[in-house]
Amino acid sequence: MKITLNNIGKKYEGRENFTIRHINLEIEDKDFCVILGPSGCGKSTLLRMIAGLNSITEGELYFGDRLINKVEPKDRDIAMVFQSYALYPHMTVYDNMAFSLAMRKERKEVIHERVMEAAEILQITDYLYSRPSDISGGQRQRVALGRAMVRKPAVFLMDEPLSNLDAKLREHMRVELVRLHKSLQTTSIYVTHDQTEAMTMATRIVLLDGGKIQQVGKPEDFYNRPANLFVAGFIGSPTMNTFSGKMENGVFVSDNGVIRVSPAPEDAASLAPYEGKAVHLGIRSERFIAGEGEDGKVKAKIDVIEMLGKEKLLYCSLDDGSTCVISQPGYYEYAHDELHNFHLDKEGLHFFDSESTERIN
Amino acid sequence: MQKKAQDKKSRKERKKEKLYLSDRPPLTPLAAVMLAISYLILIFWAFVILWPLLQMTLASLNGSLGNYISLGGTYTLSLKHFKYLFTETHFLLWTKNTLVIAIATALLTLLVVSFTGYAYSRYRFSGRRASLMAIMLIQTIPAFAGITAYYTIHSIISAIIPSFSRQMWLILIYAAGGIAGNTFMLKGYIDGISTELDDAARIDGCSNMQVYRLIVMPIARPMLAIIALWSFIGPFLDFMLPKILLTDPKQYTLATGLFTLISDMRNMNQPAFAAGGLLTAVPIIILFITLQKQLVSGLAQGSVKG
Repeated sequence: MKITLNNIGKKYEGRENFTIRHINLEIEDKDFCVILGPSGCGKSTLLRMIAGLNSITEGELYFGDRLINKVEPKDRDIAMVFQSYALYPHMTVYDNMAFSLAMRKERKEVIHERVMEAAEILQITDYLYSRPSDISGGQRQRVALGRAMVRKPAVFLMDEPLSNLDAKLREHMRVELVRLHKSLQTTSIYVTHDQTEAMTMATRIVLLDGGKIQQVGKPEDFYNRPANLFVAGFIGSPTMNTFSGKMENGVFVSDNGVIRVSPAPEDAASLAPYEGKAVHLGIRSERFIAGEGEDGKVKAKIDVIEMLGKEKLLYCSLDDGSTCVISQPGYYEYAHDELHNFHLDKEGLHFFDSESTERIN
Repeated sequence: MQKKAQDKKSRKERKKEKLYLSDRPPLTPLAAVMLAISYLILIFWAFVILWPLLQMTLASLNGSLGNYISLGGTYTLSLKHFKYLFTETHFLLWTKNTLVIAIATALLTLLVVSFTGYAYSRYRFSGRRASLMAIMLIQTIPAFAGITAYYTIHSIISAIIPSFSRQMWLILIYAAGGIAGNTFMLKGYIDGISTELDDAARIDGCSNMQVYRLIVMPIARPMLAIIALWSFIGPFLDFMLPKILLTDPKQYTLATGLFTLISDMRNMNQPAFAAGGLLTAVPIIILFITLQKQLVSGLAQGSVKG
């Protein structure tokens, strides 16, 4: 089902300011939409408004063509997976999963069929009659998913469902969830603060910060074309290197003149109006090329080396004391305190307006 | 031969260096003394509590006692005091009265506290803090401080509704007292239950009442059991209020009824009083045993990540 958020805003009782405001968003049918943001950015509030657990202060929320601002959660045809799983402790796994159907007065056979179907997909048939307290975290996670699945909802809502799992299991469940979404084709909205989850699972990411949408788009857009400095800094690990400077005669010069680089020809036109103005240059760590190039030379002293196996992360300082992270193939040999020459890959340059922090090229 | 000797030796050695398995540090002499003192205090305490109970039991079964309890003398096992209790006094009537009052109080308290505790825990409304404070402050005033008021209020109400008996009034007073304190306890307990459970239930199709009935109440059952038990015991223990409010001996509760057996020279019968006291414990023990499973269960574990 398509979900439309039209100028949505939320102000909590007793608060001075709106927690989030002016949210315009369209989530297409069958999308796996991840709402991403640092803690306290209002992402959970947004999800709870879609679920109907929090009221909508202003704006309209549509499911398809239906305005559902005032519709009760149970009538919205949604299912939600909570961070704490919120399994009913006094019921067995089976009863937990059957609960919503039982509330809707479904026939017993239908309930049984649906529960067994979900249980088989999630491989939890072995402990259908245990209580939530008797099963492990990963199993509880599956039960929570199963409870949402048996309803066959139009929209799946998930509030950081993986954050209570250990790293290995999280990785596994990430793939499971994507597989599940592929087979069920249900519109899903997934809230997380973990950019890896967002980048790996989403068909569409919504990045929130300070109650505003920073960027909406596909994961690769976020990595390759961040819309502003915040997005550039939030997405990607290690964090994108940024240098402040200004444009001089069509060439970017960093504040102390350590980095001078002329942009790629296709970027030059959009940078033309910024002649003489303050601009930020962003470059990802893997876009540093070893060796002395013709343009955009960087001479870096290696402070710390992080060996990650397939790559090495070099934490370097430049002549003016500014720092940057450079990643190079793991088989290259580097040592502490060595001076090395690199140059910038022109295809990998991001320019941002220093004043508005918006992307230029 | 030699091997055997070695074996014996090693076993001896092993015995000597017995493994110390406790997690606590070994007992120092001072700590040992303190431990002994602790045990002495506890044993003394247990004795203080158990001795009168033992004497009561013995006296109630001692057929050679007349109207007074005296230690020593001959001891003949007999149920004559119990017989006296059932035939010569209104004991059964008192038991019935007490049970009616206790059960009504427990049910009324549970019902109202369920609503108030849940509401105070889950809803934000104006006057929430102020009313909570008020409840707490009013609680500190002992119930008998309002005894004249109770008396007056009852005469006013019974003038309008003649069927409003003194026993009903007693139930209301007990319940009202219990509601105040127990609202706090239940609120505190429900506060500990994750609100995500409420949210999940709401999405699953529960109304507010259903969220309480189907989700919160079963989880809060240990606390509700304790509240029920206390509200039930209250009327068994209270002497003051029924003594003042109830005037007809046929309406008496066990506490006031049994008291007539030791307060008045004309029908003084101390062993029967002891027998009555012993029997009074029966309904409470039965309730305790039935609720025991609820009282000790820790159902709330594992609802949320554990």
